[in-house]
Amino acid sequence: MKVSYKWLLELTGLDWPVEDLTRRLTLCGTACEDTTPIARYMDKVVVGQVTAVKPVEGADKLRLATVNLGDATLDLICGAPNVAAGQKVAVATIGATLAGDMVIKKAKIRGIESCGMICSERELGLSDDHSGILVLEPDAPVGMALARYLDIEDYRLTFELTPNRPDSMSALGIARDMAALGQVKLRRPESSVKESAGKASYQISVRLEDPVGCPRYAARVIRNVKIGRSPWWLRKRLMISGVRPINNVVDVTNYVMLECGHPLHAFDLDRFGSNEVVVRRAKAGEKFTTLDGREHECTPDVLLITNGKSGVAAAGVMGGQNSEVEPTTTNILLEAAYFNPSVIRKSRRLLDTVSESSQRFEKGADPNGIEYAINRAARLFAELCGGEVVEGIVDAYPNRIDPKKISLRPARCNALLGTQLPAERMREILTGLEFKVVGNDPLSVTVPAFRPDIEREIDLIEEVVRIEGFAQVEDSVSNVGPLFTPLRFEDRFKDEVRHILTGAGFDEILHHGLADSRLASAVVPDLPQLKLVSTASAELNIMRNSMVLSAMTIIGHNVSHRNLDLRLFELGKVYFPPDPTGRWIEDERIMLAVTGSTPHTWRETPRPFDFYDLKGAIHRLVDHFHWPTLEFAPEAVAFLEPQASFVVKLNGRPIGTVGQLAARLAKSVDVKQPVWVAELAAEPLMAVSSRVSTYEPLPIYPAAPRDLSLVVDEQVPAGAIVASIKTVAGEMAEAVDIFDLYTGKQIEAGKKSIAVAIAYRSRERSLSSEEVEAVQQKVIDELKNTFKAVVRDK
Amino acid sequence: MPLLDEIAQLEREALERIGQADSLDLLNDLRVRYLGKKGGLTAVLKGLGQLAPEERKVVGAAANTAREAIERHLADGMARLETGGLRASLDPTLPGTGQYVGAVHILNQVMNDICRTFYGMGFEIAYGPDVETDYYNFEALNFPPDHPARDMQDTLFVEGGRLLRTHTTPVQARVLEVRKPPIKCITPGRTFRNEAISTRAHVAFHQVDGFLVDEGVTMADLKGALVAFCKAFFGPEVKLIFRPSYFPFTEPSAEVDISCFLCGGKGCQLCKFSGWLEILGCGMIDPNVLDKAGIDSEKYTGYAFGMGVERQALLKYRINDIRLFFNNDIRFLRQFR
Repeated sequence: MKVSYKWLLELTGLDWPVEDLTRRLTLCGTACEDTTPIARYMDKVVVGQVTAVKPVEGADKLRLATVNLGDATLDLICGAPNVAAGQKVAVATIGATLAGDMVIKKAKIRGIESCGMICSERELGLSDDHSGILVLEPDAPVGMALARYLDIEDYRLTFELTPNRPDSMSALGIARDMAALGQVKLRRPESSVKESAGKASYQISVRLEDPVGCPRYAARVIRNVKIGRSPWWLRKRLMISGVRPINNVVDVTNYVMLECGHPLHAFDLDRFGSNEVVVRRAKAGEKFTTLDGREHECTPDVLLITNGKSGVAAAGVMGGQNSEVEPTTTNILLEAAYFNPSVIRKSRRLLDTVSESSQRFEKGADPNGIEYAINRAARLFAELCGGEVVEGIVDAYPNRIDPKKISLRPARCNALLGTQLPAERMREILTGLEFKVVGNDPLSVTVPAFRPDIEREIDLIEEVVRIEGFAQVEDSVSNVGPLFTPLRFEDRFKDEVRHILTGAGFDEILHHGLADSRLASAVVPDLPQLKLVSTASAELNIMRNSMVLSAMTIIGHNVSHRNLDLRLFELGKVYFPPDPTGRWIEDERIMLAVTGSTPHTWRETPRPFDFYDLKGAIHRLVDHFHWPTLEFAPEAVAFLEPQASFVVKLNGRPIGTVGQLAARLAKSVDVKQPVWVAELAAEPLMAVSSRVSTYEPLPIYPAAPRDLSLVVDEQVPAGAIVASIKTVAGEMAEAVDIFDLYTGKQIEAGKKSIAVAIAYRSRERSLSSEEVEAVQQKVIDELKNTFKAVVRDK
Repeated sequence: MPLLDEIAQLEREALERIGQADSLDLLNDLRVRYLGKKGGLTAVLKGLGQLAPEERKVVGAAANTAREAIERHLADGMARLETGGLRASLDPTLPGTGQYVGAVHILNQVMNDICRTFYGMGFEIAYGPDVETDYYNFEALNFPPDHPARDMQDTLFVEGGRLLRTHTTPVQARVLEVRKPPIKCITPGRTFRNEAISTRAHVAFHQVDGFLVDEGVTMADLKGALVAFCKAFFGPEVKLIFRPSYFPFTEPSAEVDISCFLCGGKGCQLCKFSGWLEILGCGMIDPNVLDKAGIDSEKYTGYAFGMGVERQALLKYRINDIRLFFNNDIRFLRQFR
């Protein structure tokens, strides 16, 4: 919403400097987002008179204009089609800076020296019009500074209005807030109108077939208007408001809308097609051409103004081409109606058109402000277009919308705000906003119909604090609310996972959770997909059903940017369509991924990341949260390489997967190096997490360490050897650790060498070396029997 | 006394050679040479017997002092050589070694900072689903049936009739429905909008919303709480300005600007020369919202607020492209270790 600063001063009689005005309005909820000086591009621009226009040799479109500036005469090259001798024009002289930061310099065009420029409205920053030069009134004084002549030392204020405040979509609406703030009376422009004989109701009639869509329709007839250009003061205000002047009739309807907020429409009465206005829903498939030349195929969602036969306007959205005001128009049918906001919203959506008018109707216009608007416009028609206003308003308003009455308890108002405002101050504020207030406790408040947002006591309290100012509410530190703040384990769990995994060298990633269904079908073909109905982009059309999808995308991004060595984790959710019982599932997951190599430092040479890096990180979590042992069972998983595919089990129940991402999938995101991924369900792990572990007394007696070096078949799992040792040695084996693993030259093919460190210890006594050797021998025998192990020299 | 001179001479010589020793073997040789059974000091002490008792005392004490000094230096020398050679061979300009520590994602860092600050102010943390019903996302929060946010143009819907929540205030509606006041919660989480992805907008972003419901909660309490939060989060000098605004689920509603923490309110690029930064929305919970949750809005009042996590991160770290958060380029992520 754009409005002239001077206009607001005129409507209130206040003389606030522009900075004060915008600040005070912003602090009362009418937010001013931008202040643009109108005369910004008019420095060194003066009124001139074109005395001669000559063609320029060799250039069809250019002409040489001689311009009298009073104290000087300039020759200028001008390309505008409408330049003519005798015109008063705006001349930018050397040194002027025009819109678009165009600086005027001496220039030679086609060998002719040009010492300035005749300006269009766009070049002056007045509007977007660049179809020709701006032609001033014949009485414009030659030599006068243009800004002074145009009386345009003004500002364009741009307001960002909240959707609940249709009342402030006009100069008067904004001025009303100012008046309440400044405690002055709003100065509504005169709307009394001198009517001529002959009753409007004899000439036209109005029939509402849909009084819900159109609760009120008022019309006036104005005869013998002369279509022409509006006076400068009016065009100026339209331009500042961002509305393009067209002709005096259309300009008046637009002006009154900008002034009081009520959209109006002027039909050419002679082209209307009948003398009956019928407001009805469009028929399915009914064709209608709006005045922008677009033909629409309507549905019953569109409310039409018709002449009884065919449509003449899409109600509240846009007029029709067939009844548009033209340069030859002499008689006007002026419409001031009130349309149902949701009807207009549907209608303009269907017509795919947003207009100044539809914006106001869909937020809620004032059904009882119609007389003012139609009379104000009629008065201006008489004043500016020479029209004769036919007596009477034809007004179809079957069910009057009465103003609401609401009670305001001053004590409640203060209790909610934490203030001690006297009831008198509340009355003053509400009266300033043109509410009617009677009584004391409670205040009985009548809400004008231009405030559809005010329905309850709380809405009035908001009005009070908005005008009084939030700054008047103190910052309290009173002790309200519960005494205790519970901290649940879930709140801590994620934080601790983050600490452990970043400590293990993993960087945390965060994905938005949307994914590409095609990728999901390739990676997890068996999992159902939760599809989006409306999508932001074709690649984001489902909610991810696997953390691997987003990990692949992110690894792909990094590898393509030569970030080749990655250790990543993410805590996030996967989503599925509702299960057969109708339950919607969002599952928390922990994802880990590694690719590339360990860092290359001056001390350490890199080695590729692999399965064991993932397992190691997972085991840091196992240690931290005291999870039971996780089993890594070799099982096929669709998106993992068959030779490196494991299902992670907790107490026998699968809770995730670990392995090497299938090379074909990695390639699909342009990654050729091996990628290892793990995905674990967080909830079952959270359920078995515990930081409370039983204290174990420190050993008193010494340990007897023994190393054992074995050669076994390559297929024998290390875990089986460790388990076997623990079974044979029982409690005596305090720790069994694998400290070396070797396959290669010194070892027979198909075999591996494995070295185990066993710490024997008793909690009751010192073990004798005989005891230790005996157990060690039993262990060796068992390994020989079970695994055909060859014990290498000790 | 010649013996005392001899001891002093021996000690000087021993300490010098120990100091220069560059191997453990050499130190052992020196130990034998000076303190061994046939060592220098032992030889000197053998001559003690021929001295007068008073002299014996003096020389004996001197010999013991020398022995202790030599032993001490030997031990130091051993420790020095055992722990890796001479100090002179260390290059302090070489980078240190050890495990790389990863970075928590910057958005989670900022979110945690916000949550921790509110937790310290007595707000507990509540969560809810990302895929939400129309009821909790809109209706329970007093959105009128034809509010533009309920459009497909603004909200992402999924098959099966649910939608991706457009804010985390639905969690407020869920908590209010099952709990009795007093309740004081923040609701951090991910939210979604149907936006074209650009430097300034994304389909997903994060919010921390919060609320308090009790008897006698006032707008002054809301202001007090947010002033306390902003001072803790942005620094004690920060100033706040409350501007009336509109949200369907609060009334009165306000937007909060803080004085620009970069220029202190003088005006700079960050605050677009206004001196102020818009950082959060708030208001008193609309009575309709309380009534819908079965809480008597005459007896109880409450406040609510909400802020975007990306917004705080963009401002705080002067990041100029919101897409960086979800691209997860490790060169970006690792800047926030």
